[in-house]
Amino acid sequence: MARMIMTVDDSTSMRQMVKATLQSAGYGVVEAADGQEALDYARENAVDLVITDVNMPHMDGITLVSELRALPTYRLTPLLLLTTESSMEKKMEGKKAGATGWIVKPFNPTQLLATLARVL
Amino acid sequence: MSSHRKYPSHSRQVRSAPDSSMPPPTLSQFEHVSRYWDNEHQCFAARLLPGEYYVTTAQEMIATVLGSCVSACIRDTRIGVGGMNHFMLPLDASQGTSAWGEAASAATRYGNVAMERLINDILKLGGRRENLEIKLAGGGRVLAAMSTDVGARNIDFVRQYVRDEGFKVTGEDLGDIFPRKVVYFPDTGKIRVKRFSAATDRSLEDRERKYLSELDSKPIGGDVELF
Repeated sequence: MARMIMTVDDSTSMRQMVKATLQSAGYGVVEAADGQEALDYARENAVDLVITDVNMPHMDGITLVSELRALPTYRLTPLLLLTTESSMEKKMEGKKAGATGWIVKPFNPTQLLATLARVL
Repeated sequence: MSSHRKYPSHSRQVRSAPDSSMPPPTLSQFEHVSRYWDNEHQCFAARLLPGEYYVTTAQEMIATVLGSCVSACIRDTRIGVGGMNHFMLPLDASQGTSAWGEAASAATRYGNVAMERLINDILKLGGRRENLEIKLAGGGRVLAAMSTDVGARNIDFVRQYVRDEGFKVTGEDLGDIFPRKVVYFPDTGKIRVKRFSAATDRSLEDRERKYLSELDSKPIGGDVELF
């Protein structure tokens, strides 16, 4: 069965781009528009990897990462942040929350897929 | 678009910035953006170059000159915080479009980030997506000698983006063959667009060509760091 990846971003067009890239490599994709929506989905369903934006309404991506890490089923799931933020402080916050990695937008599709292959 | 003036310039009397007067404080990420006293509008202004953007919480003006580039002027109408970007899409020739199609081409990814940086900074200052008001300008057919209509591509992108994101565009002055000077007041949402004649500004065309070749010379992709 295809690996299932959740893309979390409040921007529809960003989700579309990530989805197109992942689908081209044969991944299954589920979308969420903010951290809260993603967390609600994750509580009921398993996914193999999460790619999340940082700045979002309702729940930001760093909070989402800590919330997911607190769920027994997501303790080891790769959680990647994909964001326009590139400051060291933000990255450290992400790392402390339990993120697997940090990708700065605009993402390079080849590089994104290579990163996924490494952490999955 | 209407030609409103927020700060009427009084007859021909030209005043300079009062000695004691300093530009309003700028957000730390925009310290590199050049600012000046604008005599015509009697206020401080930020001057945007291709590839830059600027967001302010103060009563100040943002100004730029566009050829084939586009600018989105975006503000939260409830809190009066907003800004402007100034960008064009890279040509995809050297970026391997075919592998990803239009959906995630280098051009689309670059344009997307140009819009998102501006929007994110407004949201971080308390703005909300549903309150955003967007005005668009630019995209003139200014780089006439090029086989691709760079301006038209930029317009197609920005229109598609705002449609996909469900944003409301409340004003636009796009396309045609003219360079434009745009001034925008994020606190009130007023915008003035002045078109000028196509052939007057060689330096504008040179600047845009330089920006385009810079864009095309480096891959469109940010850093990846695994913890």
